[in-house]
Amino acid sequence: MKALRGFLIIGLLICGIHPLSAAVPAKPINAADFKSALASSRGKIIVLNFWATWCVPCLREVPDLLAVTNEVKGSGVVLIGVAVDDPSPGATEVERFRKRYFPEFFTYARQGSEMDELASVIDPTWNEVVPTTYLIDRNGKVVRRIQGKKSTQEFRQIIKDIL
Amino acid sequence: MGLSPEGQKASAPDIAVNSKGDIAVLWVDRSPQDKPADGGHNHDRHLAVTDVYVAISKDGGNTFSTPTKVNTSSGAVWGQQLSRPRIVGTPNGSWHVAYSANDIHPKLNKTLLTTHYTRSIDGGRSFESPKRLSSITDQDMSDVIHGGFASAAAFGTMTSAPDGSVHVYWIDTRHMKPDSDSGALYGSASRDDGKTFTTDKQLIDTSVCPCCQLTAVANSKSEIIMGSRQVEKDSFRPATVMTLSRLGKVTNERQSIGGAPWQINGCPLKPTVVAVHDSKIFAASHSGGEATPGVIFSVSNDGGKSFKPRGIVHPSAAVSDAPTITVNGSRVLLAWHAKVGSAPRRVYYRFYSLSGEPIGEIQELDSAPGVSQFPVTAARSDGSFQLLWQQADRIWSTTLTAK
Repeated sequence: MKALRGFLIIGLLICGIHPLSAAVPAKPINAADFKSALASSRGKIIVLNFWATWCVPCLREVPDLLAVTNEVKGSGVVLIGVAVDDPSPGATEVERFRKRYFPEFFTYARQGSEMDELASVIDPTWNEVVPTTYLIDRNGKVVRRIQGKKSTQEFRQIIKDIL
Repeated sequence: MGLSPEGQKASAPDIAVNSKGDIAVLWVDRSPQDKPADGGHNHDRHLAVTDVYVAISKDGGNTFSTPTKVNTSSGAVWGQQLSRPRIVGTPNGSWHVAYSANDIHPKLNKTLLTTHYTRSIDGGRSFESPKRLSSITDQDMSDVIHGGFASAAAFGTMTSAPDGSVHVYWIDTRHMKPDSDSGALYGSASRDDGKTFTTDKQLIDTSVCPCCQLTAVANSKSEIIMGSRQVEKDSFRPATVMTLSRLGKVTNERQSIGGAPWQINGCPLKPTVVAVHDSKIFAASHSGGEATPGVIFSVSNDGGKSFKPRGIVHPSAAVSDAPTITVNGSRVLLAWHAKVGSAPRRVYYRFYSLSGEPIGEIQELDSAPGVSQFPVTAARSDGSFQLLWQQADRIWSTTLTAK
């Protein structure tokens, strides 16, 4: 059973689709693969959270986002993180952090030289503020950009408005 | 002209011109990050793991020396665009570099960031062993904030003054509470050309936005003008400027440079850049509070007591950011990067008069196709300006002359 689960997780990752239940390692990603991954997630509502291990409000927000999206995961809402830390081989640094503090958080980790590259895939006007959270509807359209940490209640309402 | 060698992953440039007209350029090489973590310790280890390089021109920027690596051990520098190492020159020809360093707490055995300084007294050919300027306390915030660092003294800046003094400032978390996200401002100064520095001293105990790098310049009286971002009630974060006497005493408390209020419970990552000419202070910063987030420009005619914002500098840009500002003679040069339409990020610039009025149109920097970004500028001794920028993984340089 363990092997089957591992096989499924790997398979989903290869397809660029993250497992609905997280607890998988941080995945280094470049802009092209990020675009593919998002495209293959059509049909879901994505809460896409740009964060960094050195960003205090980000670290306070992640548990709230996990809680809120877990409440509605049955509705096809998934939380995906994008760590904008400077890249490390295999995203080891982001993974070390994720595993220790947010083991249930699925996150990509940028591979490219600049923070802007990944965000530009969905938002060329991103101004490199973290946290920035995008709400992407089932058709892959960005319907909301939220900058700064919001309360659990605010996120709950924002997601409810989309569902 | 390309300055950093092919094969490096250069970013985060800085530039200084000394009173002899020599030009020093600095950048960060991120190549050490490609190597796996050395596993020297089992706790969180943070990037950036980088090296700092400096090259010098003694012929007005026509040629530059072979780059010198500043840090003695590879990867010692926590260098990135958000917390750029700084370089300044002093009248006797020394070059001074300050940077955030990857460090280990001697008792806690946890990672922390400290502010380091080094200097070259041989024209940039070699740099002395760095010295740590920021104190290490027993604070351990590693489980609470900033993911693994016991403490941080980073996002700092440095300036030199006409009297030869060197001033280093940084944002320090030693007073940060678990439920807070603002830092303190600390500084240290040298009055013997960097040979010794004062014990670090607190200038502001709290309410400094901890991820918005500080900036500082000195005026002709060796007074210090410092740009920072303040954290106010309800998470409003104005870009501010304060002034200090030549002995480091605050003479004007932080003044907002104006613009639309920006309420953000997050990390803006936006410095407030400053330039000075007599009692005039010019400031610029990215503001996310504007209808279209972008760089705003502001002028003080009373030494920093008040500012009059002049609005968004690049209204047609979808987003503008990373301003740099320099005064030379009767001209102010403001440069930034922006995205216009569907074009990639490019460097733009504009000249202003000393009254803050624009001269000519916004110009796009003439550089190779593709992304050009993160400009920095300095005043040359011939009245023109030297501009550095990052393009791909290299640092480039050019000269701009105001009409």
